[in-house]
Amino acid sequence: MEKQGELVQGTLDMLVLKALARGAKHGYGVAEWIHESSNDVLHVEEGALYPALHRLELRGLLTAEWGASQNNRRAKFYSLTAAGRKKLAEEAEYWRRMSGAIAHVMQSV
Amino acid sequence: MPAWLTEISLRIKALFRRRRLDRELEEEMAFHLAMLEEANRALGADPEEARHAAGRRFGNVTRMKEVCREMWSFTLVEGLWRDLRYGARTLGKNPGFTVTAVLAIALGIGVNTGIFSVLNGVALKLLPVPRAQQIVSVDQMFHGKFSRNVHGESGLFSYSEYKNYRENNHVFSGLLAYAPFLEATLGGESPKQLMGAETSCNFFDVLGERPALGRVFVEADCSAPGASPVVVLSDNLWRSRFAAEPQMVGKSVSLNRAKFVVIGVAAPGFAGLDPWPSEFWAPLTMQKALEPDSDLLSENNTGWLALLGRMRGRVSLEEVRADLGVIAGRLDQQYPGRTTTLAIRRATFLGRQEEQTVVFGIGAVVLAAVGLVLLIACANVANLLLARASSRQKEIAIRLSIGGSRWRIIRQLLTESLLIAFLGGTLGSLVAFWSIEGVARFVLAHLPHDVPRLVWNVSPDLHVWGYSLALTALTGIVFGLAPALHATRQDLSTAIKSDGGRFMGKAASGGMLRSILVGVQVAVCLVLLIAAGLLMRGLYLAQTVDPGFEMKGITQARFDLPSQGYNEEHARVFQRELMARVAALPGVDAVEQARVTPLSHDFLGTGLTLTGETQERQFEFNVVSPGFFTILEMPMVRGREFTREETQSDAGVLVVTESTARELWPAQDAIGKTLRDGSKKEFQVVGVVKDSQASRLGQTGGLFFYMPAGPKEQDRLQLLVHSKGGDIATAKGIRESARALDPDLIVDVTRLEDNLEFWRTPSRIVAALSGVLGALALLLSSIGVYGVVSYGVSQRTREIGIRMTLGADGGDVMWLLLRQAMRPVLIGAAFGVAGCAAVSQILSKVLYGIGSHDPIAFVGVPVFLLGIALLASYIPARRATKVDPVVALRYE
Repeated sequence: MEKQGELVQGTLDMLVLKALARGAKHGYGVAEWIHESSNDVLHVEEGALYPALHRLELRGLLTAEWGASQNNRRAKFYSLTAAGRKKLAEEAEYWRRMSGAIAHVMQSV
Repeated sequence: MPAWLTEISLRIKALFRRRRLDRELEEEMAFHLAMLEEANRALGADPEEARHAAGRRFGNVTRMKEVCREMWSFTLVEGLWRDLRYGARTLGKNPGFTVTAVLAIALGIGVNTGIFSVLNGVALKLLPVPRAQQIVSVDQMFHGKFSRNVHGESGLFSYSEYKNYRENNHVFSGLLAYAPFLEATLGGESPKQLMGAETSCNFFDVLGERPALGRVFVEADCSAPGASPVVVLSDNLWRSRFAAEPQMVGKSVSLNRAKFVVIGVAAPGFAGLDPWPSEFWAPLTMQKALEPDSDLLSENNTGWLALLGRMRGRVSLEEVRADLGVIAGRLDQQYPGRTTTLAIRRATFLGRQEEQTVVFGIGAVVLAAVGLVLLIACANVANLLLARASSRQKEIAIRLSIGGSRWRIIRQLLTESLLIAFLGGTLGSLVAFWSIEGVARFVLAHLPHDVPRLVWNVSPDLHVWGYSLALTALTGIVFGLAPALHATRQDLSTAIKSDGGRFMGKAASGGMLRSILVGVQVAVCLVLLIAAGLLMRGLYLAQTVDPGFEMKGITQARFDLPSQGYNEEHARVFQRELMARVAALPGVDAVEQARVTPLSHDFLGTGLTLTGETQERQFEFNVVSPGFFTILEMPMVRGREFTREETQSDAGVLVVTESTARELWPAQDAIGKTLRDGSKKEFQVVGVVKDSQASRLGQTGGLFFYMPAGPKEQDRLQLLVHSKGGDIATAKGIRESARALDPDLIVDVTRLEDNLEFWRTPSRIVAALSGVLGALALLLSSIGVYGVVSYGVSQRTREIGIRMTLGADGGDVMWLLLRQAMRPVLIGAAFGVAGCAAVSQILSKVLYGIGSHDPIAFVGVPVFLLGIALLASYIPARRATKVDPVVALRYE
């Protein structure tokens, strides 16, 4: 059995987009948000997070800006672009249907 | 902006801000680590422990940065750049190898580029006129049963056909016609023979050529036959003959004794639409004035005009074909049984069907030959690369074993070979571009004197650049791929552990591939050398051949009376007077006449019907005076020569050649047999003359007859003069005699032997070319053999040392090495001889005097090549036998 909290392949991008839906965050903030929002179940590896952020930025779904963090350090803040918002909506819809279907299958006798 | 565009623009930005990108990545990671550390401290860990925990959790920072960086970069482009720099460094470290390889490739590519730029200049370049891509040539081919008169080439059009196409097409803004093979005598103090053209009056307008002086033709100049004796001169003629006279327009000149008024001078650089430059242009409607013996304008079934059209804007070649095809179909209805197909193509020099067939036939053979030279060069470089790859075996094995992908290493090796190819290709092409015009000038200057002066613009254009670029890239892959594949397919453990492969007699890795490459080189080289040998032998034979008649001491005088306005009566008087004067010259003992002088590359043909048959047969013929056979020492096999009486009347008698008699009347006596011509006139055979190569050098066959030169033939006869005195004095005497009778007549006086030049020139050019290519091939192949053997020796020094310690003497070692070196050479040679047997079959059809099974070429050349190969292996092998066993064992 795989490690607890490991992410299903391909869902990391969606979670990162979701994390940024309410406003700009730096990488650490994204990881923390996912961790907390999942009631400490999901745990994002840094080794996967940053490649994902850069990949999304390259695809034009995110933009990045340097700004000051709460404790006044320089940090790179990511935020959604219009394309990112659209992508998030699509992914969310797809996820809703998939998870509903899987749940349905698993509950059947 | 689409996503992929965003991505590319981001990447391009990143490409230029590589340093900043790295710094930002660094900073981003550092920030994350710091935040983790802070979080750990907040949970109560001491600072040291907090930092360690953060580090542990974060994992391999470098690796992550690597992944992100990779994502931002054009890995392929940057990888290529790295490969290039690395390749350049490696090549720089082995200057000996690099120079050899680059020179071999430069030779191969240079020869190819040079030949291609000649072909391009001759037949691929568009015409040198404004907006040339709109100009198309129209050419026709006939099929089926039909009869047609031809004046020049068979695809030419008659005047009425031209008018039909011109008036009824919907695709051209203008369609021009011109007669491409016109010659005329320009009168004056010293008459001069000029090439020119009769043209339709829209000629210059369709081409878009403006005159430098005066005007060009207008439609009124072509309104009626003979109405407008006007002429446009070429810039060259205007300068060379009229000293660039500024008041030239309005002056009159004499062409074939007709007066023409100069109306303009063409722009410099315009010399007509053929590789032989035109010196003047006159309206089509003046045809009879320029050629008084024919009236081509009124002959609807005589082809004499080449057609070129300028397409209207946005018309495609397909539409031109369809539109003109309709007109061709209508014309065919006038000639039942005949079908015409049209060939429409962008106009170039030598663009007509018959010319294209010849040019591309020759071009293909020559390109194949230079392609073979390049192949040898490739095999050579591939061999060098293979040898080098085995000395780099360890490096490659290490890279493979630490996880370098095979493809990655092949890419690296291919980059190196492409680098060599491009260095060589650039060098070779530059030398070719720089020298080819000189070479072309040299060749053109050495053509026989009666071949018209040709102009070739062989300067390189986009075609040529594209060709040499493509060839270079192909070359790089051809010689690089096999060694690269080979080098990366190895047993890693043995390669790293030791040089075990070098120890045993099995030889170092790649031995098989190297042997095959040597074999291929030898085979290809042999094909080229034997071909060259055959051609040179052919040339030698051509120069020593006995054509079956005597040429020594005979001078020929050729002139064209009909074009100079002579009628039969005038011609008879002129011939009688001239023969009398020439006969009186000192040393002259015979003066005879013939319509065609032997081997003058003019041919007469007609159809005759045998009595008792209905089907007409095609004959070649000549019209001769009674002493013709005696002066040329052509013996009669049966019957008799013509008599004086027969030449004075219009006697129906013939002399046929031996092979004609044999073919028409096998096992019968030809004397007394009768034939009829188209007008039902009957001819009787009175003599059979021994076969000779009087018409085509190297050929005796074909139906051939002679008829007596009667009074009606006098205007077309040439003179053959036999003298015991010097040729030069006789020639001078003939010229003076002719000048005394008609100072404006151009008389071409040469030795009869000079006619051989025409037949030998193609063989000579091809022999010279193939000799040069053969020498190049030999040089490259012997370098190849030498390189392989000396490499083998250096690889096996230790083995040789052991053998010698164990008692082998120098002779044994020499024998061992030579045997191994010569095996691939011998196999290659066997293939080469076989291949050459095929090549010689083709050559013997194309060129005069080539025997397809010439023993000297087929035995001598391979022996010579084997000798060279033996020498190339002997030199390095000798070095091996001089090895001191002790030194050899310590080697490495």
